[in-house]
Amino acid sequence: MKVLSYDDVELGDDLPDESPDVSMSKVTAFCTAAKHVFERFVDHEAARKEGFPAAIVPGIMSQSLLLAMIHRWAPGCTVRKIDTVFRGSLLVDSNVTMSGAVTDTDDEARTAEVDLVITAEDGRTGVIGTAVVEFKD
Amino acid sequence: MILDLHTHSIKSDDGRAKVENYCKWIRKKEIPLDGFVLTEHRQYDSESDYRALEDEYNLLILKASEVETDYGHVLVFGVNEDLLHSFDFANIRLPIQTVLNASKENGAFAAPCHPGRKRVGLFSHYARSGPIADVHTVEVFNGGSIPGEDQLSVEQAAIYGYRGFGGSDSHVVSRIGYCATKFERDTITTVEDLVEELQSGSFSPISLKPEPKNTSIET
Repeated sequence: MKVLSYDDVELGDDLPDESPDVSMSKVTAFCTAAKHVFERFVDHEAARKEGFPAAIVPGIMSQSLLLAMIHRWAPGCTVRKIDTVFRGSLLVDSNVTMSGAVTDTDDEARTAEVDLVITAEDGRTGVIGTAVVEFKD
Repeated sequence: MILDLHTHSIKSDDGRAKVENYCKWIRKKEIPLDGFVLTEHRQYDSESDYRALEDEYNLLILKASEVETDYGHVLVFGVNEDLLHSFDFANIRLPIQTVLNASKENGAFAAPCHPGRKRVGLFSHYARSGPIADVHTVEVFNGGSIPGEDQLSVEQAAIYGYRGFGGSDSHVVSRIGYCATKFERDTITTVEDLVEELQSGSFSPISLKPEPKNTSIET
């Protein structure tokens, strides 16, 4: 369900889960656009030589995917703050799942605090974080 | 009485959960917890006072520690001044025997957490270096485990005759209560009570993980 105003938000609400595309072509396109091209992100073999099981999704892309998830959930909102912790690698060409939940609300500031999690294909938590989302209406 | 024995707040370097938000979440989601224990990484938080939150939300909030040893991570309940002077909680290569001995000598209770996990779990070290005689209890249900890890913990705990408890290992608010521990006693009000009950062995691990959602949008 899309959230169009602060009045639609309630503590305990879940954001819709998403399975973002972290294929090699998407990750390479992101790295190129962000001028953040390193072999460990765009080349499986090079990543293995660095000790990773495969190429890994860059942290800034994970954070961007979470931001995009928030904006799909609440179009028109402003993300005042996002804070992520990278707890484990997310592999390129794997299936990852993003989830979120509203953990606090502030009626005066018309903001919601949101938990953010990206889960790797094997079930391990790859990224956790929180965001503060502000609503105009 | 049901307690989540393994949680982290913003006091941990990788924790992003405010303690009050844990309380709000538990009440809003009607999670059947009577309280939780904050087990901050490599430290004991002697400053924070959560009594007002306990009263407001009718929850027990206790404090403990998660330390790092040569046999993986260990939760220490009942941390006191004497124990704080027994070893360096910030040391990431503490000898597990030091932690176990010092905890016992100072009236605390030490138990390895997520023992089925690679690298930071007790049983992966057993496979390489053999068992430790003074371990008696381990966290067999951990909310951050991947499929198979808790099963390994349960199986290995049975082999070694260890008692098992549960904890969510939550680092964000919405993960609290994924796993917990059910105590036979319903009047735990202090950390001393908790240590006593852990020593008695009158508890069992429980899993309260929500069912996976079927809907996921591909983007």
